[in-house]
Amino acid sequence: MEPIVMVFAWTIVVIVLAFIACLFEDLESDEGSQSNPNSQVQLAPEMGYIHRYYNKAISGEGLSYALACTIAGTVAWMMLSQGITPVIAIPFGAGIGSLVHMIRATIPHLGREAAHKRFEQPIYMDVFYGHLVPIATHNFMAVVCITAIAYIQSPMGPLAAITGLQVAANNPFPLPLLCFIWGITVGAIGSSTGDIHYGTERLFQDRPFGEGRRVIYHGQICRYGDCGIRTSKDIVAFCAKYGGPATGLTFGLIVLFENWRTLIGMMAGGLTGGSWSPELASGVGIAIGLVIGVILIISNLYLVRWARKKFGPFVGE
Amino acid sequence: MDPIILVLILVSAVIGGMMASLGVHLLPVGGAPAAMATATGVATGCVMLMTGSALTGLFTASAVASFWEFEHANIGLVALSGGVGAMLMIGWTMLVANLLYVFGAGIVPVSGRVAVDPITKESQTEYKTPRTDGHGMPNVSYISGIAGGFVGGFGGALIYVTLENYAHFSPATAGIVAIGIFIANAILAAYNIGGTIEGFHDPKFKERIAVGLFAAFTVSLLCGILVVVATLVFPYLGLGGAL
Repeated sequence: MEPIVMVFAWTIVVIVLAFIACLFEDLESDEGSQSNPNSQVQLAPEMGYIHRYYNKAISGEGLSYALACTIAGTVAWMMLSQGITPVIAIPFGAGIGSLVHMIRATIPHLGREAAHKRFEQPIYMDVFYGHLVPIATHNFMAVVCITAIAYIQSPMGPLAAITGLQVAANNPFPLPLLCFIWGITVGAIGSSTGDIHYGTERLFQDRPFGEGRRVIYHGQICRYGDCGIRTSKDIVAFCAKYGGPATGLTFGLIVLFENWRTLIGMMAGGLTGGSWSPELASGVGIAIGLVIGVILIISNLYLVRWARKKFGPFVGE
Repeated sequence: MDPIILVLILVSAVIGGMMASLGVHLLPVGGAPAAMATATGVATGCVMLMTGSALTGLFTASAVASFWEFEHANIGLVALSGGVGAMLMIGWTMLVANLLYVFGAGIVPVSGRVAVDPITKESQTEYKTPRTDGHGMPNVSYISGIAGGFVGGFGGALIYVTLENYAHFSPATAGIVAIGIFIANAILAAYNIGGTIEGFHDPKFKERIAVGLFAAFTVSLLCGILVVVATLVFPYLGLGGAL
């Protein structure tokens, strides 16, 4: 098969993995109530709202995922250096990363809930045990996909093995550093986009739809599910319908357009034959990126205009 | 090592660091309140958002820098590639965040700090929920964010390409040093902002940008001196250690 076809084929694999990684990253943060909406779960007992949410605020999602992914990447990298096949090394590394994440998920929940004793918030042991495995499994899915992406793009991965091109198609960064980069990025995206569906809509589902959550509502979270008392597991089922896939789509689109514009630029610069011109390759990539940027600004203009026309000015008190 | 190269490292560290700081100030950052649609901006912290976007830019910049195999890379083109990469990351993130506000929560993106959008001239006040500080990404914040991502990504990639191509660090070492200088400046800028900011139209931007840039200059200069000393004392940094 033509080398350039193989490069595009591996890029498509990376994009699909990116979508899955970010989807599970967002759902994992919802499962344990990590990141920004955790401020409400933290505030609820102080407002007299005793709840059965899992209260996991390890750190910001970016740092938390950078650590889990870098641990996974380092373990996988060591195993690959010993000649172990990637099919074993990548899931094993991700498993270690998820185990460390599970330990880090345990301590903040117990510590924070214990600190809420003065507000009569109990530590529900069924909530504690019941959420740990879903947290670890969601985390594993995200970390294994990120480690696989880093492996494919690293100098020891399949992209580097493709010969017959003017320049190497892989990234010069080593596997653990790529895991760190994508870990931070996936966490930043999950925190920026997916949290909105959880924090604005799901946590305040008993408040009027279609308005920003006023400061006086803060801490007064919705504690009842479709049947019985709500736990953090009920959040995941809801956010998996919109917030999670939208977050996955964000990371997938970023990886798609970053790789696509670079590859198109490389082809314009003579990747597959003829004289290689790095200036032309990078210049075409930059030009395509700028055009996409302008399209994004126009899309936002249209979206905001549509929302203003459809919803109209704020009505109510 | 050639003194011109040492000056180039120092200058690129200072310019890159100051651009990182400027980029953070331009981003619309809503922090935790934005996740509840209580404040305008992206629902995460300054440092995380800027680092996430700059690292995406750095990923592309490192690939572009490897196009020049046997000669010095073109600093401008590599830095521009990084800037455009970071811009696209922040652009997609803000667009999908707005999609979530509009279709997931039925909220119109509006600014809480200005009555009229300075770019599109659309009125903001009557669309805002009372007792909130705005919600979503209005057009002015979106464009400010795109500019902030571009500037920040450009700065990060500039530090990387200078270290990798001219100081002859290995790609991994150059990447880690660039990330280090970048994050130091991003954290300083986050302290300077102190909470939320909507972009260049926010009154906070004009009030605090001068102090932020001065702090970034000082820290970047110190970082640059450290890198120059490290380059002179440990010339084997170019091998990149175990990585």
